[in-house]
Amino acid sequence: MIQGQATHLSRTTHGIAYDATHDEIIAPNPLAAAVVIFRGGATGEEAPVRTIQGARSGLSRPETVAVDEKNGEIYVGDPGDRRVLVYRRDADGDAAPVRTIQGDKTKLLQIVGIAVDPIRDLLVVSTYSRLPGGVTGLLIFKRTDSGNVAPQRVIAGPKTGITRLRQIALDPATGRIFVAAINNEYLPPYDVDKPRAGLSPDIDLPSPWNTGSQGFVGVWNDEGDDGDVAPHSLIMGRSTGIVHPAGVTFNAKSGEVIAPDAVWNGLFTFLKPELFNSGSQASR
Amino acid sequence: MTAASAAGLLFLSLPAGRPSIEQMFVAQTRAAEEAENICLMPPEDGGARTSQAPAGQPPSQTAAAAQAARLTAAAADTSSDLPPVRMVVDPYPSFNGVFVDTTANRVLMSDTNRKSLLMYEKTAGSAAAKAAETPLQQIMGPETGIGFIAGVAIDAAHHELFAVNNDVEDRLVVFDDTARGNAKPKRILYVPHQSWGIALDHRRDEIALSVQTPNMYVVFKRDAKKFDPPVRSVRGPHTGMADPHGIYIDETHNEVFVANHGNYRPAELITSYTAYDARESRQERSGNAFSETARGNFVASSVTVYDADAKGDAAPLRTISGPLSRIDWPMGVVVDEADNELFVANNGDNSILVFPRTASGNVQPKRVIRGPLTGIKGPMGVYVTKDELFVANFGDHTALVFPRLAAGNVAPKRIIRNAPAGKETSGFGNPYAVAYDSKREEVLVPN
Repeated sequence: MIQGQATHLSRTTHGIAYDATHDEIIAPNPLAAAVVIFRGGATGEEAPVRTIQGARSGLSRPETVAVDEKNGEIYVGDPGDRRVLVYRRDADGDAAPVRTIQGDKTKLLQIVGIAVDPIRDLLVVSTYSRLPGGVTGLLIFKRTDSGNVAPQRVIAGPKTGITRLRQIALDPATGRIFVAAINNEYLPPYDVDKPRAGLSPDIDLPSPWNTGSQGFVGVWNDEGDDGDVAPHSLIMGRSTGIVHPAGVTFNAKSGEVIAPDAVWNGLFTFLKPELFNSGSQASR
Repeated sequence: MTAASAAGLLFLSLPAGRPSIEQMFVAQTRAAEEAENICLMPPEDGGARTSQAPAGQPPSQTAAAAQAARLTAAAADTSSDLPPVRMVVDPYPSFNGVFVDTTANRVLMSDTNRKSLLMYEKTAGSAAAKAAETPLQQIMGPETGIGFIAGVAIDAAHHELFAVNNDVEDRLVVFDDTARGNAKPKRILYVPHQSWGIALDHRRDEIALSVQTPNMYVVFKRDAKKFDPPVRSVRGPHTGMADPHGIYIDETHNEVFVANHGNYRPAELITSYTAYDARESRQERSGNAFSETARGNFVASSVTVYDADAKGDAAPLRTISGPLSRIDWPMGVVVDEADNELFVANNGDNSILVFPRTASGNVQPKRVIRGPLTGIKGPMGVYVTKDELFVANFGDHTALVFPRLAAGNVAPKRIIRNAPAGKETSGFGNPYAVAYDSKREEVLVPN
């Protein structure tokens, strides 16, 4: 376990990535506007080997991270400024991003997941929002996109089954995107001076767990999928045990999909070797 | 599996083999309930459960079933409803906040893991306890509004129990002190996201909550409900608050104590008092004239002390911080107002620190309870009475009771267990992300 003040972690960490090439762990700290990088074998109250933080870094509330081991870059999703920031893998201190994706054309809002496909040169971002025009789904950009650019494709709509999503993972060997569709309810923003302004005083806000909308892990393809399309594969239902999964990763070697569930406060592993067969992407 | 505290990264070694464990968790939990004669999970498909998905219970609702059927039919892969080959789920409670009611001789603790409140007799537990203690009452279930629960308090005068959700639920729930089971709160107060600690002020009939993201504490009337706003707040760069957690109001000396982890962002970087779907980005708020010079910082963990009449961007009266203080991710704080001592649940190094109430600056604690004999592991809550010190462990299935003046590597006088001795905790605290370390074959889980 890595914990304690010297780690510069926080109790609010909603993203994590592992760089197998360089044996490093990458985690955002949204409460200190930082990204911290540890050696892979870090334990106890161990300081990070590098920290990206500062005005030049452009970090505001980093929520999610990904690493591109092939091209040596770290990707950060930052919903505070609704932007994606890309850093050199070895960036340290108050380092400026090498690229930034931001602006109204991007459709980036509440960015909660990010993944990169260095083989197909694609960048996938999960985002949600109830704001007018807001997308709740996947935005697919070119890996090297920069500035106020529109995504190449958007996967969103009722057929996806996604009402709210969180972390995503991507297997470059197959181009499959694994999506944690948490599908729980979330509450309107709280303004301390005008709590829940605009809401009827008689309204009862829903409990985030009492939604009637079951979460799942869904699988899409990063090449070809576009628009309101159903997932190619699902992990969903009473036997799975998962109710509202918030994260997802995989162990391709063993054909396993791994998802934490916030309702159970637990971690679930599923055997789905067919999802890791190399070759063509899944077809419906 | 590594036992752990609420924060930090957990590494779970994946065992060999792929046992079939369909519904294993439910079976495990029911078995634990039977063995320990305690409620760990609401009844399946029964009782007062609504048709919606309750906390801690897989849904069987019509809407979800219809949704699953529709999606499964659309997906090429029809093997969607498959059991996990492995799961890491702790079927037992994990203690977090603690409050002792010396009037009625009872102890209230929050349970983050199974999402409940547990009440015990004040004298519960023993030095040699190996079995789980049977609570006097437990509040748990979908009607309770209890989720990722943190701070707790008892108002003995009004016979009320208070509990605040730290994440997701964004609400404080208030129960009659006789409530049990799947009880509806008598009041709900919607509160800022990431509220963590609760402090009562009987003189003013108020409650104060610490709030992590905006580095502040807010004060409400005790009987505030629903969308009632705070009567005042203390927030701003001069307050010195940075990722605040524990809070305590010393009514004798009219002071407020706040424990800070040390993660800091200036207001410029805070777009909303929520992690969800801010109404506006910095750019929109400032018309694209926002400053790019604002930056986050790491400051030393601390305890800051304020005048209880403070409001706005008030500087602390005193700050305890620095290497001599040994403060490291402080969670709960409590003041012995009669004996003028401050107790800190020091989560980062598994200790309890005791300072003079008026300590200030980079000062050594006057006593430290730490070491293998103490059993302190991931302490979250702390409470002091005339003679005893209560510590709620998150890293072990225990709460510990020490003599008030305990110091050093000493064994507790009583242990209150919420699981049989030897049961490890998962250490999970609302896990929202995961990564796979292919080199070590480990799963990384931030909390």
